[in-house]
Amino acid sequence: MTHAIALNEITKTYDGFKAVDRFSLKVARGTVFGLLGPNGAGKTTLIKILTTLMRPTLGDAFVEGFSILTAGKEVRRVIGVVPQENNLDRYLTARENLILHGRLHGMRASAYNPRIDELLEMTGLASRQHDFPDTFSGGMQRRLVVARALVHEPRVLFLDEPTTGLDPQSRRALWEHIRGLRHSMTVFLTTHYMDEADALCDRIMIMDHGESLADGTATELKDAFSRAHVLQVEFRDDGAGYAEKLAGLPFVRSVERNGATFHITLTGEEAIKPLMDSLAGADIRKICLKEPTLEDVFISLTGAKVRE
Amino acid sequence: MFRGALSIWGRDMLVLRRSIFSELIAVVAYPLTLYLAFGFGLKGYISEVNGVPYPLFIAPGLISMTAVNAAFDESSWSMWFHRKVQRTIEEYRVTPVTVYDIVIGKIFSGFSQGAIKGAVVFLVILFLTPFRIDYGHLPAYVLCLAISSMTFSCLGTICGTVIDKPENIGRVQSVVIVPLIFMAGIFFPLSSYPASILPLIRLLPTTAVFEGARDALLSGSIPPQYFINLVVTAALCFALAVYTFNRKMAE
Ligand SMILES: Nc1ncnc2c1ncn2[C@@H]1O[C@H](COP(=O)(O)OP(=O)(O)OP(=O)(O)O)[C@@H](O)[C@H]1O
Ligand SMILES: [Mg+2]
Repeated sequence: MTHAIALNEITKTYDGFKAVDRFSLKVARGTVFGLLGPNGAGKTTLIKILTTLMRPTLGDAFVEGFSILTAGKEVRRVIGVVPQENNLDRYLTARENLILHGRLHGMRASAYNPRIDELLEMTGLASRQHDFPDTFSGGMQRRLVVARALVHEPRVLFLDEPTTGLDPQSRRALWEHIRGLRHSMTVFLTTHYMDEADALCDRIMIMDHGESLADGTATELKDAFSRAHVLQVEFRDDGAGYAEKLAGLPFVRSVERNGATFHITLTGEEAIKPLMDSLAGADIRKICLKEPTLEDVFISLTGAKVRE
Repeated sequence: MFRGALSIWGRDMLVLRRSIFSELIAVVAYPLTLYLAFGFGLKGYISEVNGVPYPLFIAPGLISMTAVNAAFDESSWSMWFHRKVQRTIEEYRVTPVTVYDIVIGKIFSGFSQGAIKGAVVFLVILFLTPFRIDYGHLPAYVLCLAISSMTFSCLGTICGTVIDKPENIGRVQSVVIVPLIFMAGIFFPLSSYPASILPLIRLLPTTAVFEGARDALLSGSIPPQYFINLVVTAALCFALAVYTFNRKMAE
């Protein structure tokens, strides 16, 4: 079976700086694939390479079996792209934006018109189709960009942060659209929202510094990282005396303090008993094991520091 | 083949059609002012140049100037705007059209703007001018105008492709394009130049554009050295524009 997307040791260097480093990946058809990573991780760079906007420095990639290096035109025929920043034509009405896209795909009016009607209906823009996009709200513009990417019924849809800047209602509406596409096409999206990845993606990959760090379903990722053992301990007094003591213990990896509540990350399961021993006699209000969220997985993989 | 170029050109013409009246007023005002100020204001001082009444002497150059300026303007600003501001070029580039479609579509849009605006100024000046021209000379004149608009559209495309800062496009216009246009003898005969630099001036592509246009309108044929100059320059600029855009997009 050909994969919808296959990357083969893709490397991209910007004047000596490696934005993507020997990145390999295969995505099966019909998957909703989510790529997560902090700012500057290399997500947009990967999408630009896969959509033939940029050539990789090394390596090759295939979309529906077509090489991005040698069969760019065939690749572009089967992909739809929602870029990180809206690139609508503000001198064309919403409908004309969609029509131009259909024409650039070589479609005839008899083919694109019914399709455009359907998409405008689906994205709730039908009543505004003759207005110019700069009179639209951010959410409406985003939906128009998504509609535009679907005019030619692509087999693989790339979405770079599709819901950034949208209100919760619009986000959920867009999720619905994307879920509805799941069986007819492969979706490759990037996002900074963990709940979005959790709710939408069949498969999630976390990347940073141009490399993949983890790959699996949301449940698999959380399970793999629940072995990190984060305990939440709340003291009755302010617990000030314990901060240093806890941090000094050999089986404690890190301690985060928030008032009287401590988040203690242990080196392993076997460390729970010695921790209890060393806390013996302390006035504890509450102690519990914290289930990791996807966000914890993300932070533990990519670090807590803000990126330049 | 080139269906994509046609779609992109169609988009530009649709947008032009929406604002055609305000654009035409703006574009006609400048050459018309020059025509009235020089052609009629100076009439008492300069009655004829080489036997041609002065207003008629400057009219073909003013029309050509409007056309080539409009072509350059449209191509440079539109390319810059679609590349840097709206990023619509990126949208075009993720569809099956090729970079050749995009650059050729854009070059023809600039050319069309030049042709339309030049034609309108021509009609306005024709209407105002007391001299009647020989309509048999029109084909040669239109040919000259078309090749010139093509050249300037390609030059504009190159500027819009390589220049990222908008103020630099304005600088190229005022430092390169405007002097080239005025040096080429729209308002004075080339014989005013010292004999030593005249051969150089005659080699300028803009000289071919303006002298060629005048000769074409007044005599009905483009002098061969100008015609060759026009065609070669247009071909070179076209190849350079396509090459430059292709290179830029591969970055
Ligand atoms: N045109 C460019 N020239 C030089 N460096 C670049 C260029 N584009 C991106 N980079 C660098 O490459 C790295 C990856 O950028 P990229 O845009 O792919 O990140 P991202 O994961 O999409 O980030 P974000 O979440 O902020 O959108 C960054 O460090 C960025 O500074
Ligand atoms: Mg990005």
